[in-house]
Amino acid sequence: MQTTSELLAQALWGLGGVLAFLFVFLISNKAIRELRERRAAALRRELEPKILAYVNGQGNHLGPILGPLGHFESSVVEEILLDNARFLKGAARSRITSACEDLGFVRARISQLRHPRWWKRAEAAEKLATMKSPKAAPELIALMRDEMPDVRMRAARALGQLDTRTSIKPLIDALQDPSRWSSLRIADILAGMGPSAADELSESFNTLPIKARVAAVDCLGRAKSVRAGGLLLRLLSDPDRDIRARAAHSLGLIGDPNFTPDLLKALKDPEWPVRAMTAKALGKLARPEAVRPLAEALRDKEWWVRINAAEGLKSMGEEGLAALIDALSSEDRYARHAAVATLEGAGVLDRFVEQLASADEKERETALLFIRKIIAAERTDSLTQSASRHAQEKVRELLSRALKPSEVKP
Amino acid sequence: MNPSRILIADDDSTIRRFLVTLLADRGYEIHEAPDGEQAYRMAGEVKPDLMLLDLIMPFKDGFDVLQELKAQDTTAHIPIIIMSVKDREEEIVKGFDLGAEDYVVKPFNSLELISRVKKILDRSRS
Repeated sequence: MQTTSELLAQALWGLGGVLAFLFVFLISNKAIRELRERRAAALRRELEPKILAYVNGQGNHLGPILGPLGHFESSVVEEILLDNARFLKGAARSRITSACEDLGFVRARISQLRHPRWWKRAEAAEKLATMKSPKAAPELIALMRDEMPDVRMRAARALGQLDTRTSIKPLIDALQDPSRWSSLRIADILAGMGPSAADELSESFNTLPIKARVAAVDCLGRAKSVRAGGLLLRLLSDPDRDIRARAAHSLGLIGDPNFTPDLLKALKDPEWPVRAMTAKALGKLARPEAVRPLAEALRDKEWWVRINAAEGLKSMGEEGLAALIDALSSEDRYARHAAVATLEGAGVLDRFVEQLASADEKERETALLFIRKIIAAERTDSLTQSASRHAQEKVRELLSRALKPSEVKP
Repeated sequence: MNPSRILIADDDSTIRRFLVTLLADRGYEIHEAPDGEQAYRMAGEVKPDLMLLDLIMPFKDGFDVLQELKAQDTTAHIPIIIMSVKDREEEIVKGFDLGAEDYVVKPFNSLELISRVKKILDRSRS
């Protein structure tokens, strides 16, 4: 029969043994990892010049340049190719895709798409996105039915990178199923695919559910598809106000000046979100015929419309700024406030404050006239600050005098 | 004739190695800087004929390097091509306003980059 102290000693020996084993395991594991990293770095130094020479145009195929590759060498070559794919486009980028196909990396990653562990499938989709090989399209399309949302989304992103017509359709199908997909994220991928995706999206537009339509309209604008102009102009009369508002916004992003007459009509839409987005779009088109309607929109009862109208005028150069300065004398208090905020943001107020220091009396008078209009518009925060902090005493004095209540002449 | 000297300033070593191979193969003498501080210092020491300048770098960003080089008599003449992932209009305009010769957005086309480099070097030689 063992005594308690013997049992304790045995337990301590056992524990010590386990700890020693763990210690040896961790140390050897770390040593193996470091050795592996060192070997990979040495291999990288050896192979990288040959790979970069190929990427920059030497030889037709990378395989014969590198010779036979083992498993470890292959993983280093793939890493070098994908690292360089991040910042390249054009011929060098296409050569990376060809090398990934020739050396079997595309095939290997396609096989990995069927791996039982989800993160392995996700990793494979990610790598295939960087390889940009159209050969991966059918398998990536199949992966869009994966049980894991993260894997599905990476497959969708990879398809967006492939930029082939076959990859557009499944993405549009995904847009039709908001229960499984985020419409916004899919629309984002489609927008990145440019005009060809926008064309197919325009054709399928009527089949989309309402939530997806809003995302699709955004996507058409971000893809800057001039060919989608007809559809977007028709959507300015859609019964849904969100669709009308997003259509106006997208028309602004596309930026065709021929959209101006329809947008000027939309500026009178009964729903304020449509008017707000239209004002923003008109600012982007910057047509002179929009100056007056935008100046009128400064009196809109909705703050968002007034601010977008003011911002729109700001982007229209001297003519727009003149309309904003005119609005300082408007009977409408909201219009005056929107004008002051925008002129401040555009640096016009600072310019006139600086002009107060001019040696030319006429210039000083013009500046004072403008500043009195700002004061009459009842937004004097910035002027009050300049009156106490401006570097020049003369400017501080003139501003302080103008800000006295008796001096205000609307 | 001595080869033209090009200073590559980028904190991403993969991009630097790619550019070194690309340009050294075409006979240029290449110098590398891994951050903004070193880029500024090396521009003064090496006096390159052209500089490729990334915008997002540790210690000193590309815009600061550009501004400081253009403010110095000894380095103001160095033509600079900005290479950046920043592709917004304001950033591109700011680059040109500060005196950059050209602006290349990443990802970039390597053949186009060589043409731009060659054109700028030919122009500064003539």
